[in-house]
Amino acid sequence: MKKRLVVLIILLALIIMSFGITRTKVFRVPEGWPDPVYNFEKNPLTAEQIELGRILFYDPILSSDSIVSCNSCHLQYSGFTHVDHSLSHGIKDRIGTRNSPVLINLAWNRSFMWDGAVNHLDVQALAPISNHNEMDETIGNVIVKLNRSKIYPYLFTRAYGDDSITSSRILKSLSQFMLTLISCNSKYDSVMRKESSFTIQEENGYQLFRRNCASCHKEPLFTNGEFENNGLSVDTTLNDAGRYKVTLRSNDSLLFKVPTLRNIEFSYPYMHDGRFKSLREVMDHYSSGIVKHKTLSKQLHSPITITSNEKVDLIAFLLTLTDRYFLFNKEFSYPREIFSK
Amino acid sequence: MRNFIIIVCFFFTTCSFSQHSIEFIPVYGFQSFTTDKYYPINQTDSVKIETLKFYISSVEFIKRDVVVFREEKSFHLIDLAKPQSLQISDLPNDIDFTHIGFNVGVDSVTNVSGALDGDLDPSLGMYWTWQSGYINVKIEGKSNLCRTRLNEFSLHLGGYRTPNLSVQNIELAVKNTQNMKIYFDLHSFLTSVGLQDQNQIMSPGIAAVRLSEKFAQSFNSREK
Repeated sequence: MKKRLVVLIILLALIIMSFGITRTKVFRVPEGWPDPVYNFEKNPLTAEQIELGRILFYDPILSSDSIVSCNSCHLQYSGFTHVDHSLSHGIKDRIGTRNSPVLINLAWNRSFMWDGAVNHLDVQALAPISNHNEMDETIGNVIVKLNRSKIYPYLFTRAYGDDSITSSRILKSLSQFMLTLISCNSKYDSVMRKESSFTIQEENGYQLFRRNCASCHKEPLFTNGEFENNGLSVDTTLNDAGRYKVTLRSNDSLLFKVPTLRNIEFSYPYMHDGRFKSLREVMDHYSSGIVKHKTLSKQLHSPITITSNEKVDLIAFLLTLTDRYFLFNKEFSYPREIFSK
Repeated sequence: MRNFIIIVCFFFTTCSFSQHSIEFIPVYGFQSFTTDKYYPINQTDSVKIETLKFYISSVEFIKRDVVVFREEKSFHLIDLAKPQSLQISDLPNDIDFTHIGFNVGVDSVTNVSGALDGDLDPSLGMYWTWQSGYINVKIEGKSNLCRTRLNEFSLHLGGYRTPNLSVQNIELAVKNTQNMKIYFDLHSFLTSVGLQDQNQIMSPGIAAVRLSEKFAQSFNSREK
């Protein structure tokens, strides 16, 4: 009798626990990496909220014409940037003013966008959603559309316990998905973990990198997260003053955020306006194309002397930053199972 | 039994259900004020306000320079299109104080805290999506002084980064601490804007800071 009672109690407890159970996820910091900047306490990861974020990321319902999704400008196979376009385009083929940045290792970002206009990952999505050239929508109308849909009330209940669809839930779910986009399994990473070794050419390239590039493109994130002026000539068709637009400080004129170099093999074209189609062009810029603007970063005041062969080696090293586990990870991909229903 | 009932009733009346409340009252000089109505701005020109929304935050009760109460999660979006929003109630009733303190706008820390809810929800039209930050004060309307399309003016005052920090702190003396009435004089504010020259502010900067100061100066409790 006592045994049966114990079994019954355990069964009841399990049944009760299965209601509203969400699976928490631990954010794994790769060994030796700095602490993430994102405050996970305010938005603890759960499998259901990440999944909701992933579905929203790939859903064109966020745009006013229901054709453009986040994925339209942030394709996984290129490191979540807009491949083949110098300036990204949005709804009705409207062209924007910049190249969409990669979405890699965002938990370590202190600011977002090329000029740091967005100060927190949770409010990042508001920018493309509301931008006339991108999704041309309002978050308020997104909420209306999600409420009307067949699947979102269910998905929000699964993720949050009730079907209340609010802007903060939409934004925080998107954040959760984006936070999972960690790239730390390139050949470079396995070499650092002493699991493999560079070729001679790659090793040469690595040493050249450390001498000439690492002060801004600091390991292991391959960015120092700062705003720098890397001597790009001003494109007078755009007149993009970069960070100055946000701070209105003249010292910030023509400064842009240092992007990560991870997966650089596939995230072309390069720079905030996508002006360089190949890594070779980037090398040539640094060796002979730097314009000595007043706000040119100190690290670039002395010229970078590098031979043609050395450029090849440097590029060989940069190719070791390609992380196929990241670029083809199905957990980051289009949720076919949801959208095909 | 009868005595008991009387005592119980007496107990409930002294245990006042009325709590401290703050009512924000827009005025135009000595006149009352409503939106969508033209008021004279000088001898020849007039102005009407169609939209007026602003944040009141960090409400405090102060007695002799000491803060005796600080409202928690103190963020209120005052919207003249929503009359109930003009009153802040649910404030404790058992505190003795002489002054009330509050911010017009949202503080810097809150501006970097990501996606928030309630009155701070970014879907309420008081958040800049293209450059993170709250619009502290939003005033839109028409005046013949504005040589703009449809004579419209649009003042979106925000900015949380120095030197463009536009949130303003105000402290006012209050006598009737039960039902506090805080007036904000739109005549004094609008005449200080200079609508003939300044009719579009859509981002942080010097102009936004100056007008935020002027707007805050228009608040008073009509008490010494």
